[in-house]
Amino acid sequence: MIDVKNISKTFISHSTEVKALVNVTAQIDPGEVVVVLGPSGSGKSTFIRCLNYLNVADEGSIIIDGIDILDPKTDINKVRAEVGMVFQSFNLFPHKTVLENVTLAPIVVRKNPKEEALKKGMALLEKVGIQEKANVYPDQLSGGQQQRVAIARALAMEPKIMLFDEPTSALDPEMVGEVLDVMKKLAREGMTMVVVTHEMGFAREVADRVIFMDEGAIVEVGTPEHFFKNPTHDRTKLFLSQIL
Amino acid sequence: MGSPLSLKRSKQGDHYYFWVGVFFFIVIGVALSLYFSARQIDYTWRWYRLPKYFAYQEQVEIKAEIDGEAVSILKKSKIAVVQVKGLEGTESYTFPESALKIEEGDTIYYGDVLATYKKWRVGILLEGLWLTLKVSIIAIVFGILIGLFTGLARISSNPALKWSAITYIEIIRGSPLLVQIFIWYFVLGTLFNNILAKHGIVQIPPLWFGVAALACFTGAYVAEMVRAGIQSIHRGQTEAARSLGMTYVKSMRYVILPQALRRILPPLSGQFISLIKDSSLLGIIAIRELTKATREVVTTSLQPFELWFVCALLYLVLTFSLSMVLQYLERRQLAI
Repeated sequence: MIDVKNISKTFISHSTEVKALVNVTAQIDPGEVVVVLGPSGSGKSTFIRCLNYLNVADEGSIIIDGIDILDPKTDINKVRAEVGMVFQSFNLFPHKTVLENVTLAPIVVRKNPKEEALKKGMALLEKVGIQEKANVYPDQLSGGQQQRVAIARALAMEPKIMLFDEPTSALDPEMVGEVLDVMKKLAREGMTMVVVTHEMGFAREVADRVIFMDEGAIVEVGTPEHFFKNPTHDRTKLFLSQIL
Repeated sequence: MGSPLSLKRSKQGDHYYFWVGVFFFIVIGVALSLYFSARQIDYTWRWYRLPKYFAYQEQVEIKAEIDGEAVSILKKSKIAVVQVKGLEGTESYTFPESALKIEEGDTIYYGDVLATYKKWRVGILLEGLWLTLKVSIIAIVFGILIGLFTGLARISSNPALKWSAITYIEIIRGSPLLVQIFIWYFVLGTLFNNILAKHGIVQIPPLWFGVAALACFTGAYVAEMVRAGIQSIHRGQTEAARSLGMTYVKSMRYVILPQALRRILPPLSGQFISLIKDSSLLGIIAIRELTKATREVVTTSLQPFELWFVCALLYLVLTFSLSMVLQYLERRQLAI
């Protein structure tokens, strides 16, 4: 489903180079839930953002569902329509109601008829448990509710893959659960998911595989049991000892 | 939401009313001193002379253009149609029934008055006001279009677009509007109209060069506001829109611009009010807008005091109405 080969990414800020990704290779199969862990600044977010071209990898290749997204001839908008993304800061459209947030892309990108989009939008809002807020504006929602709307918005495009970039990091602790519940439901339905998170519980419970990154490189890949119980690398052990 | 004023102590002391009094004292003082200094130079205020510059009644005389006989007078719903039959043919005249001065069968000579009546005419000040309004509205519409396009070009990564936008904005913002109007009229206008004349096409009247000058001037300022407005929208909005598969154009159209325009509405309304006032400069290229019209009336009527006050008041009516409309739009948008 996702085939990443030897990608590297260097940011240049104030004439100093920051190596965000160094020679990263990873494969993600259909229906798999992969959780990306690592300390801050380890390149997890850059990695996931490279997957839908919000950051452009300097070298290497990224094949999404058979399409090489780094190929200049690829219509990236078509690929992005198949890859949903959920952001740390929700990024809901503040000038649109909750339902409009969900139906906008299906209407203007997929060109779905309005009635159909509205019906599907309501069904999705029901799925994330927020249908009663369909006609309010995002600033009237709590963080957890906003993030659930953001998930519904991404799902409205009927994506084949969902990317989650620290979806619970900006939430008050008591709201983390409701968002994770939606994500768990999605995982059970067989959605291919890549999740950058600090929620170890979620990784342990839901992930098929865990990728551990540090300093722009993948240090260790394995099942949650392997990762949490018998990590091989010292860097992984150090990380786990710091957070657990 | 409370206004910042509500942070103040709610109880207003005696001083408050004292300073309210001072305010009215100043206003009345200025008015009185104006009045008495005008008396010093024996200025006679003649406000009653002003209405005719807004609207007046004109005496209309309808005269026969041939010799002959009034063969028929048809009266229908207060309109009279007179047929005059002469040797060279038949002429027909139409006017209000009450204005009729002849009867059927009368012999008519060339130049005879068939009817006289009074007709309301729009005065020069009202004409000027209308022209100012028209010029401003057209310039605002084009200013918005130019500004939107230039603002987007300004933040484009394409150097041809970006540098053209910067050059345009800097030239316009760095030179006086008066000079720009001269350039539009005397330089570009001459060039355009010469080319048009060579091809036998109708000349463009000065009005349109004036409108172009104002629109381009406003466009440059609007462009900078549009740029600032777009850049003030959080990057995450673009990212969210693009991650849903929207193209650049769609993300601008549905996500970024609606939010940006909402933010720039207050500075934009200030710019449009400036434009209405700046249109007063167009008099110098023979466009008879409100200021030019007032100047013409002043030279014939010799009542400069009243006329200039009225002129200022008319501008105030225009700018105040515009700011009311824009405030309404702002409130309606913020109400969500």
